[in-house]
Amino acid sequence: MKILKDKVTKLSFVALLMAVTAAMVYTPTASAHGEKSQAAFMRMRTIHWFDLNWSKEVLAVNDTMTISGKFHVFAGWPETVDKPDISFLNIGIPGPVFIRAGSWIGGQLVPRSVSLELGETYEFKVLLKARRPGDWHVHTMMNVKGGGPIIGPGKWVTVTGSMSSFTNPITTLTGETIDLETYNLSNVYFWHAFWYALGLAWLAYWARKPMFIPRLIAVESGKADSLITPTDKKVALAFGVGAIAIVAMSMSTTNQRYPVTTPLQAGLLRGMKPIEMPATTIAVKVDDATYRVPGRAMQMTLTVTNNGDSAVRLGEFNTAGVRFLDSKVAEDTTGYPDDLLAEEGLTVSDNSPLAPGQTRTIQVTASDAAWEVYRLADLIYDPDSRFAGLLFFYDEAGNRQMVMVDSSLIPTFT
Amino acid sequence: MSASQSAVRSRAEAVKVSRTFDWMITFTLFFVILGGYHVHFMLTGGDWDFWTDWKDRRLWVTVLPIVGITFPAAVQSILWYRYRLPFGAILAVLGLLFGEWVNRYLNFWGWTYFPVNFVFPSNFMPGAIVLDVILMLSNSMVLTAVLGGLAYGLLFYPGNWPIIAPLHVPVEYNGMMMTLADLQGYHYVRTGTPEYIRMVEKGTLRTFGKDVAPVSAFFSGFVSIIIYFLWHFFGRWFGSTAFVKAA
Repeated sequence: MKILKDKVTKLSFVALLMAVTAAMVYTPTASAHGEKSQAAFMRMRTIHWFDLNWSKEVLAVNDTMTISGKFHVFAGWPETVDKPDISFLNIGIPGPVFIRAGSWIGGQLVPRSVSLELGETYEFKVLLKARRPGDWHVHTMMNVKGGGPIIGPGKWVTVTGSMSSFTNPITTLTGETIDLETYNLSNVYFWHAFWYALGLAWLAYWARKPMFIPRLIAVESGKADSLITPTDKKVALAFGVGAIAIVAMSMSTTNQRYPVTTPLQAGLLRGMKPIEMPATTIAVKVDDATYRVPGRAMQMTLTVTNNGDSAVRLGEFNTAGVRFLDSKVAEDTTGYPDDLLAEEGLTVSDNSPLAPGQTRTIQVTASDAAWEVYRLADLIYDPDSRFAGLLFFYDEAGNRQMVMVDSSLIPTFT
Repeated sequence: MSASQSAVRSRAEAVKVSRTFDWMITFTLFFVILGGYHVHFMLTGGDWDFWTDWKDRRLWVTVLPIVGITFPAAVQSILWYRYRLPFGAILAVLGLLFGEWVNRYLNFWGWTYFPVNFVFPSNFMPGAIVLDVILMLSNSMVLTAVLGGLAYGLLFYPGNWPIIAPLHVPVEYNGMMMTLADLQGYHYVRTGTPEYIRMVEKGTLRTFGKDVAPVSAFFSGFVSIIIYFLWHFFGRWFGSTAFVKAA
């Protein structure tokens, strides 16, 4: 038995040492927050983020940066996800490594939830102030009530400096300027320590005397009443009355010190102003769409009609934040995240300018490792196996038109 | 030594063993209650206790005393009816607050860097003191439930007001008015806690103008009375001793 015990002890000690060593040698940082795990159809058929811009890639603590761009609320919103009637423009970061100094949709500040309309496109901007040093993946994000977080594209941003130098000065309506990072902290500690000490004092009062065994014996022998003395009652009365008096007095002094207070503010913001998008003069019909699993490529057969007055070419297909570009027509100049950008990922069977009034059927192939890396290929395992995305057509003058496409996607395995 | 012989040989030794036993039980009881109460409270009070921008004058005031009077009632019934020890509620609240502070400081601040002035726990101590005092002075479960339960609900808001009032000072921010607590919720990004799940200022209690907190506190006190009864009996059942009959 002793040998067995010794062995278990020895092995446990070795296991503990190995665990500690492993933890010291290999401590990777959590680098993402599940954006690839979200069902592909949700990322492809709900909120389409585009024209995104992260204003900085490196900044110091206390510096600010913005994420701006547009998002289109897909008209064919899936049935399995609640409509974005109550949504919140969030930011996908690992905790408050930045503070959200401001966020706007259509120019309106949105500290609260908003109501979005299907089929509309909105402009947004989020102002972030760096708080904690490190390399952070900063995502756009829309929380939808009943739908969950719908995460958009993310880009790595480096914050330098020290968190201890972070300040968050705010001027209240009563004219006082405070640092929200540390404001009220000593007051919180004081009152909690005070009440905790009072509780401990009560406990200590009873712990002075024998507690469990003798009292149990007394109670069971019918002498329970003898266990509470007149002094105990006086002390208890003092504690009870004292507690109530302290509550009353502290409330009164607090009201004198803070005569102006307001309730928490809440409520849905409606009437978000969408962008007035120019009327689309290009009609696109998806004849079929397939996803070739081995080739990591999606192929669409599109019938495109140009009803406008200038010739156009297809330059980009954007779905779930992944941008497939035809480099001969469009290129990225915004520093879009590499892993989400397929600069030559779009192949069009005939991408010569489509003249006004002309109709053409084209084969469009969007291929890139991003299909696998971002698990968009998993769409075929989703409950709503349809894809959707944005097509961007360009005319010779560089004007752009956005067309939404939506269709069933048929997988092919050979 | 046979089974019928005493394990101690003198009165002094018996007192020593008894005191050792007292400390062991108190220490163990503290952490057992801490664990149970903490889990229960996190699951039922949850976000209302986590964030300052959830600590409103309607639901926070209503919900927290109701879900918070549970363990104090149960622990009180065990300690009072079996040992005549009147510190059940205070012991439970000491355990809860200790656990909450460890959680807020190490998890919320230490791991995820939410400032402590945004995530401090609610204070239940005034209600717990009054609950223990009423039980001790009255020796009546009914009176403790009715008076103590009501007091537990009524004392909650004023007991916390000195701590949260500074955060209810208004601020104008980019053309909107909000409290500093609202601003904390907006500034310190919670990816998994969007604004719309914040249950504050909801309900139909609109006929009392701005004086909603006392009405909510009274309602909370009434429900706390019922919950006290219920959990008191849980405590009695949990603290009962059942002997197995010899075959």
